[in-house]
Amino acid sequence: MLDTFVKGDVGLPGAELEPEVRDLGRKLGRSASSSRGAKHAAYDRAMTLVAGNEELRAALFRLVDVAPACANPAELAEHLAAYLDGVEAGGLPLILGLRAAGSPRLHTATGRGAAAAVRQMAGRFIVGETIPEAVPTLREFWTQEVATTVDLLGEATVTRAEGQAYADRCDRALVDLAEAARSWPARPLLEADSAGPLPRVNLSVKVTALTPLVRPEAPERGREDARHHLLRLLRRADEVGAHLHVDMESMDSRELILDLVLDLLDRPEFADGPSVGLVLQAYLRDSEEILDRILERAAGSGRRLPLSVRVVKGAYWDHEKIEAAQNGWTPPVWTEKVETDRCFERICRRLVDAFPLVRPAFASHNLRSVAFAATYARQAGLATGDIEIQVLRGLGDELQEAIAGAGFRCRTYCPVGDMVSGMAYLVRRLLENTSNASFLASQAAGSDLDELLRRP
Amino acid sequence: MTEFRNEILLELRRSHERDRLVAALAELDAAPPVAVPVIVGGETRLDPTLASVDPGDPDRIVAAATVAEEHEVSSAVTAAAAAARGWGETSAVERAAVLSRAAGELRDRRYELAALAVRECAKPWAEADADICEAIDFLEYYAIEAVRLDAGRELIQLPGERNSISYRPRGVVAVIAPWNFPFAIATGMTAAGLATGNAVCLKPAEQSPGCALAVVEALRRAGIPEGAIALLPGEGEVGAALAAEPGVHTIAFTGSGAVGLEILRAAALPGPGQDHLKRVVAEMGGKNCIIVDADADLDDVVPAVLHSAFGFAGQKCSAASRVLAHERIAAHLQDRLRGALDTLLVGQAADFGVDVPPLIEPSAQARVERMVAEAAAAGANVERVEDVPDRGYFSAPTILADVDPDSPVIREEIFGPVVTVETVSDVGAGCDLVERQAHALTGGLFSRNPRTIAAVSRRTPVGNLYVNRGITGAMVGRQPFGGNRLSGTGAKAGGPDYLLHFVEPVVVTENTVRHGLAP
Repeated sequence: MLDTFVKGDVGLPGAELEPEVRDLGRKLGRSASSSRGAKHAAYDRAMTLVAGNEELRAALFRLVDVAPACANPAELAEHLAAYLDGVEAGGLPLILGLRAAGSPRLHTATGRGAAAAVRQMAGRFIVGETIPEAVPTLREFWTQEVATTVDLLGEATVTRAEGQAYADRCDRALVDLAEAARSWPARPLLEADSAGPLPRVNLSVKVTALTPLVRPEAPERGREDARHHLLRLLRRADEVGAHLHVDMESMDSRELILDLVLDLLDRPEFADGPSVGLVLQAYLRDSEEILDRILERAAGSGRRLPLSVRVVKGAYWDHEKIEAAQNGWTPPVWTEKVETDRCFERICRRLVDAFPLVRPAFASHNLRSVAFAATYARQAGLATGDIEIQVLRGLGDELQEAIAGAGFRCRTYCPVGDMVSGMAYLVRRLLENTSNASFLASQAAGSDLDELLRRP
Repeated sequence: MTEFRNEILLELRRSHERDRLVAALAELDAAPPVAVPVIVGGETRLDPTLASVDPGDPDRIVAAATVAEEHEVSSAVTAAAAAARGWGETSAVERAAVLSRAAGELRDRRYELAALAVRECAKPWAEADADICEAIDFLEYYAIEAVRLDAGRELIQLPGERNSISYRPRGVVAVIAPWNFPFAIATGMTAAGLATGNAVCLKPAEQSPGCALAVVEALRRAGIPEGAIALLPGEGEVGAALAAEPGVHTIAFTGSGAVGLEILRAAALPGPGQDHLKRVVAEMGGKNCIIVDADADLDDVVPAVLHSAFGFAGQKCSAASRVLAHERIAAHLQDRLRGALDTLLVGQAADFGVDVPPLIEPSAQARVERMVAEAAAAGANVERVEDVPDRGYFSAPTILADVDPDSPVIREEIFGPVVTVETVSDVGAGCDLVERQAHALTGGLFSRNPRTIAAVSRRTPVGNLYVNRGITGAMVGRQPFGGNRLSGTGAKAGGPDYLLHFVEPVVVTENTVRHGLAP
């Protein structure tokens, strides 16, 4: 194993990082699997099962998707039965059992069971229905040396009133979280890096939830409509000393979001705050050009504190592929997973190199990607606390403990919201967790760790 | 044979594409109006008297057309009949090559032509671009399909006989085209006729002669013989005269129900000296319903309804006209739809992101306003966007509720930015309402239950049912398009059966037995 590993990387620039990347990856991997308790064993088995059966995967995810729209357990069971109509049972007792349970006689019982299962699944990814419900978990994480960012889930914004309501919720969340965080114990690693202090409260916002006017061919419409909402949130974040992180979504809103945030940050009133972040999606072919733009604007702005940049692989890969295929466009995303992984590492290097103009945050559950980013940062001379590793609640729980245990600053993305609004998020996460290209799925399926840690 | 692929839409979310379109529009605006001649037998006569104006700025003349005279209509058909003989004898492969070249001509001018549709028909950019892509698609698709058809089809063969079926051109096709897809529909009907070896006389809508000229130019440059394509601009009389010509074999029409029925009636009996039956391919509009089940995801429903009902100001035969919502979600859906109404941008087609451009002409504006006013007077609950531009033929996007089921807004095609929302007890009741309609063009269903989807698919009378998406935007080769009942003759444009309407099938059966010897 070691031989192939070394052979494959000899002579490539940057190969000297590889031994350390491997060591760190192994260390994190061991630590993560040891913390993998029996708590999620049933869930893990189910995910492994559906990952191997496309039709079953589709049927169960459709069930999760429709669950909140069903008025009663019988209705949910009817949907389950309908989703299983086309699924090849192939002797799988699970499907046969579910099918039998979908018979009218057993509808109510099956529906109750399914509803409970969906709720339980949602509970794994969503930390609470409301901010007050979520606060104890956030506090617990903090106490255990894990920072968080809160994401308020919601229905799609199709009216101005819905945009306003989302802005109001964000505003309220900033205030409430700041209030709650005041009593949290001191955690030096989470509260400062060598560029300065880091806010305890961190809220991720979605611009497409602030405005119903997202039109791909007219980014200025959504930009102008969302401007006053985002301005208000920036001011509030500044006032309460919170960090505001603007999420990226699909390509259809990228230009809008980027222009809006970069424009607002140029305002003199924000020269000293709040702390703000953007997201870069490594699965986009032109993500490095976007990084050029971000770095250029960050360098040219009068802001005295660094812009945080969270690099992710990207969560809308299927959407981008399908949309492009239906319109005949070249997909804006890399079509091979390995290209995304490589791009992620190139961006990691550039973000590290740009510190402290920007604060790098690496969001991935891929041990290789995480270990690479941390190793590169160390060898580039950054202090451990100058980078941040981010994971998703529910998907990265074990990794979270491993990262924090290894002395890195881990920040966990914590969705807050009710079942109805949480489903779109939940389905995206489940798809991600069970896709063939997923690191977690490969890991769960028992792939060799050293193989997974190889340079992409 | 090459495989058909849809022409690639411009990726308008990229600013460089938008910049190119803006530049093309500036160039168009700087040029004088398009002068549209009558083209008959390769001869052109230019005496432009009929103006087509920008619906958003009626002082701007976009094109000026020469009106075809009666004798020109006759000579066009005579010339076409003569040219059809040679063109029909050209091999299907050669004809396909010419059509494919014509597609290339349109492709080369796509930015300029999109700008023309923006000005002449007030089509917003994305729709204008899609219109040109569809025109290109029709040319390429029918070219390929005609070659396939030319190979004939399999028949049952027994010992001692040889059976074959082949498809021949019929002769002269009269194309009477609408303005709402000024490139796509005119090109599609024309391409179907030409691909199968017929000659075509095209009578474009009086509102969009400029776009039609570009289509004819593309065909002529590509090598369609003189005479095999005629351009006969004018108003309704020109179309009526053309359809009445005894030398016309097939009439391909897309437009209003009243005109379509008149064409069908007039075509039924042979005229003097006419030794064939006229065949009519007619597409005549719809009254399209979207059924929303209780389990639908309203996050998807609202944008789909808005786009289907109000995109291009509802001026598509596929546009959504009635929303039939399950009683459990009806109130919530209606709230969200009404709340979303003011997110629609009403404005000039040339502004990116405009959802609702002006209507095509003052009479359309007056008709829509009258229907809304009557519904309001009869007690309907009216939700409208308050301010719309004064200049141009704008009509405010409107949602009507609590409407009398016998009212014209429920029964008649509106062809404007108006949608009604009705509550139904369940999906079955929604299907009952759809079934009671005379029109059956498009329909929509939002449901997350596969069994419901299957049941509605079995029951629906409509020609095109769209499930869990908007109900407009049929793509050539993917969603063959056309309606049933009073919506049309059931021909599916952009589908594998469409060309059969333009050909005469001939079956040859040869007895191959000679003295008991059968090869």
